[in-house]
Amino acid sequence: MLACTNHILVINPGSTSTKIAVYRGLQSMFQKNIVHSEEELSIFDKVADQFEFRKDIILKELSSNDVDLDCIEIVMGRGGLIKPVPSGVITVNDRLKEDLRNSPLGEHASNLGGLIADDIARSLPNAKAYIADPVVVDEFDDLARITGHPVLERKSIFHALNQKAIAYDYARAINIPYNELNLIVVHMGGGVTVGAHHHGRVIDVNQGLDGDGPFSPERTGTLPVGGVIGLCFSGKYTEKEIRKMVTGKGGLVAYFNSNDARHIEDMAKSGDAKAKLIYEAMAYQVAKEIGAMATVLFSHVDAILLTGGMAYSSYFVELISDRVKNLAAIHVFPGEDEMKALAKNGVKVFMGEIEPMVYQ
Amino acid sequence: MHMERTTILVINPRAVYTRIAIYENYNILFLKDIQHPDQELGRFSHIIEQLNYRKKKVLEELDNNGLCMGCVKAVVGRGGLVKPVKSGIYAMNEALIHDLKSSEFGEDFVDLGGLLAEEVGKELGKNVKSYIVDPVTVDEFNDYARFTGHPDFDRKSVFHTLNQKAIARRHAKALMRDYNEMKLIVVHLGSGISVSAHDHGRVVDSNQVLDGDGPFSPERTGSLPIGDVVRYCFRSGKTETEIINMLMHGGGLKAYLGTFSALEVDARVNHDDPDATKVFGAMAYQVSKEIGAMFAVLDSEIDGIIITGGIANSRWFVNEIIKRVEKMGPVHVYPGVRELDSMAQRALEALRGDVEVLEYK
Repeated sequence: MLACTNHILVINPGSTSTKIAVYRGLQSMFQKNIVHSEEELSIFDKVADQFEFRKDIILKELSSNDVDLDCIEIVMGRGGLIKPVPSGVITVNDRLKEDLRNSPLGEHASNLGGLIADDIARSLPNAKAYIADPVVVDEFDDLARITGHPVLERKSIFHALNQKAIAYDYARAINIPYNELNLIVVHMGGGVTVGAHHHGRVIDVNQGLDGDGPFSPERTGTLPVGGVIGLCFSGKYTEKEIRKMVTGKGGLVAYFNSNDARHIEDMAKSGDAKAKLIYEAMAYQVAKEIGAMATVLFSHVDAILLTGGMAYSSYFVELISDRVKNLAAIHVFPGEDEMKALAKNGVKVFMGEIEPMVYQ
Repeated sequence: MHMERTTILVINPRAVYTRIAIYENYNILFLKDIQHPDQELGRFSHIIEQLNYRKKKVLEELDNNGLCMGCVKAVVGRGGLVKPVKSGIYAMNEALIHDLKSSEFGEDFVDLGGLLAEEVGKELGKNVKSYIVDPVTVDEFNDYARFTGHPDFDRKSVFHTLNQKAIARRHAKALMRDYNEMKLIVVHLGSGISVSAHDHGRVVDSNQVLDGDGPFSPERTGSLPIGDVVRYCFRSGKTETEIINMLMHGGGLKAYLGTFSALEVDARVNHDDPDATKVFGAMAYQVSKEIGAMFAVLDSEIDGIIITGGIANSRWFVNEIIKRVEKMGPVHVYPGVRELDSMAQRALEALRGDVEVLEYK
């Protein structure tokens, strides 16, 4: 019998599903994507109210698949919209739970990750609960925090988990420590973030939630400020509607009523001129953001790493690389594996490579 | 060879003064900033109403200085907010007068340039030509540059066309090259800041300098986090006008340091003022990022980066930019603006038939 050690339970709640996985070290033992119907979720007013519902389903799923919970030593939950934190693993404590329940930035399914992880860990004999690299990881230089007016600050909100995982993978592959490299990492999913990684710190990144940067399948990115003010005072829309326009219903959704980049690419390839133009405009804006981040790194860039779902498209990747080819070598890491990225952070704790942080 | 001497009057209206210059061929003979005190401008509720007042002042000034008014062959005014047009020199016509007077494309003191050229030209004689050159709405964008991230918003081409084109041409000439065969990034550092990609003579992308995007500047915020702007509009209790004034006319250096004067900020930086150093540094940082973005627009192959405008006089500021972008291409610095020279030169070329005079429709 194999030793019952180094087992990690990973819990990653998304808006309409909860992904769970059990790893032994980096080896996946069990993976499941539990889909929640709209009907099931519709009875809850707030995301936080889904806590018991999602937890029970997870436990049921684990027990019906004969997962030996007593072996679990780490329960790793997906982060959430908490206060800005350094990159790494954070122990779930009361303060963290408080902020996950009443997020300073708003509701998000990922807020449940740490809460459920903590609850399950408490019921197990050997387990501790953590979260790792939430979207609010903040390693900005002071220069990056300034907007153009003191009433507004630039914030660090991005795909920290995947960006960091890919950056570490690349560093390991070329056998140079991550904290000795200058990298531009581009996560291209429903939202797009372009991060400037300077010697292990993401010192600038476009604010991927509702701030700035390229448009993406679901988000507008930067908009002309005067126009946005005009829209707010037009009397035609509520604040909530406009914010929805910017984050969930912007970008490709606004132009095509579809957030499926593959579908738009197919349209472009089969001769739809509008689809081609807008799809290429999206790549154009991503390339511009890469150019901007190059100057953040004083134009000394060791590599540009393209990742996320859209990195599967060689067409899209080429559109970008044609524009930025002279900045640095480009490497493509298609897709993202949040579950594995979370497990890796757990392994680092096992190995003593990192010390879990205390959330203040 | 053109041996005859051609006299040209150039008119460039600014917020609180009207700058006029007389050129004879390529040489400037007379330059004057006619000041308009607050109590005089205060009488007008719309900028356009200042037309007759400013016209009288210009004619008085010419008369008082004993300038040969009958010698003037053309009056060229600064171009204002009109329809998107291609770069070049335009003869004043009814359509231009109409659009400069209407506020359809925005209301700004630069609108008075063409109107003054027309009115003053008529006073000086019926054969006197009136022109505008490269209005701020010159639009040579590539198709990609027009998209924002939402079909309700277009990215518009609004930037310091006249000075950017003038400096870029002058730079090309100095290298004995053709502007229309070069790939350049031109940075205009004034009270607003524009960073633009010049691709073979066309400005294919630029940050929208008026109220759109890009780096912050002495008086404007540039890009802002959109979600936060929306929250601010709905929750601050301020009116639309208050917010527009705050962000578009009282943002940037003014908001952080209480002054529009980059010169003053430069002096504070030289005296190790930490706030000034941080904010001025952040402005250079944002300008650099915009340069990097335009580098990607030009497929990361450029002939050079040109830095111009008043703030280019600050060595500290320019060096902050250079150290971030010098690997992308050679950086050339031309402090100040060349607007008047450029306007006069184009008018001269137009009179001689060396360039085509375009018709505004």
